[in-house]
Amino acid sequence: MLLSVPAAISHGRVYRRLGLGPRSRLDLLRNLVTALVRHERIEAPWARADEMRGYAEKLIEYAKLGDTNERAMRMANFWLTEKDLIHKLFKVLAPRFQPHPGSYTRLLQIPNRDGLDRAKMAVIELKGNPFPPLIRPQRDSEKTLLNQLLKGYREDLQWAPKG
Amino acid sequence: ALVLVFPPLPRLRGLLQRCWGRLERGLLPSFSGGQSPPWGPALAVQGPAFLPEPVTDTTESNEAPSLLDSILWMAAPKKRRTIEVNRCRRRNANKLIKVKTNIDVCPECGNLKQKHVLCGYCYAKVKAETQLIRLEMRKKEGGPFNAPTVETVVLYDGEKPTEKDEGKRIIERARKRPSWFVQN
Repeated sequence: MLLSVPAAISHGRVYRRLGLGPRSRLDLLRNLVTALVRHERIEAPWARADEMRGYAEKLIEYAKLGDTNERAMRMANFWLTEKDLIHKLFKVLAPRFQPHPGSYTRLLQIPNRDGLDRAKMAVIELKGNPFPPLIRPQRDSEKTLLNQLLKGYREDLQWAPKG
Repeated sequence: ALVLVFPPLPRLRGLLQRCWGRLERGLLPSFSGGQSPPWGPALAVQGPAFLPEPVTDTTESNEAPSLLDSILWMAAPKKRRTIEVNRCRRRNANKLIKVKTNIDVCPECGNLKQKHVLCGYCYAKVKAETQLIRLEMRKKEGGPFNAPTVETVVLYDGEKPTEKDEGKRIIERARKRPSWFVQN
């Protein structure tokens, strides 16, 4: 009789298991955070990007404390494997996000990967990056059906009292 | 001449030997009381002089009944499933492919996209342009690990840096500004 069945069922478990183990998961996420700070827009499997988002935002909050802060410097030193990015973090990203209270990243889903696995992919980017925007805000135009109908109604109201 | 077909399975051999034993006793009722004498053919012919005696194998006789019993006990379908019943099972709602109702038309390019996912065509366009911008950045930086400590701004043909782009690193792209990349 299988006594460890509750261990095999994962209903309601919220924490994701990535990579080969907890250390491997942290290394994976650290690589992704470094890449995000370097390139400001990366494509990754959705689960990894979602997991990484929290760590990236916490890192930027630490960076906002200033580079004289010992804890902030230790955090940046651990999370960024390429040491020239520590300068970028404290000198570029911290001032950029100083006025914002939170949510420094944007996570959007992409069509599934083209390979054999058809994995659910996402693109994660820091707000305020120099690249072209991924989503264009919808501007209301004169030519939509609803606006044309409203325009016709307004014209009718103009003409009706005269006649 | 008598030819004994050697059966491959030992259990089948046991079964055949018991059948053969019953047959023998039926054919020679006079000898049922005493031992059966070797019953050879009257004329000299090619073949065995006596009937092959059943080899008594206690282990086999112990094994065979249990297996026969278990064969009789195993589950098997009683009746053929009719095509109507088969159709009901195969075309049941949970076996058919689900219909997606979250497919929409992208307002920019007119391709199909899922409502919660970015349009594939528009994303590929933006990705290609980002790739070219990154190429220019790499050329400007020179080697690896030269991340700049100032902000970056991208300017296209015939654009001048405004007073907002004071201390920023400028990346030049040698083409007209695309309509979907609004300068701000």
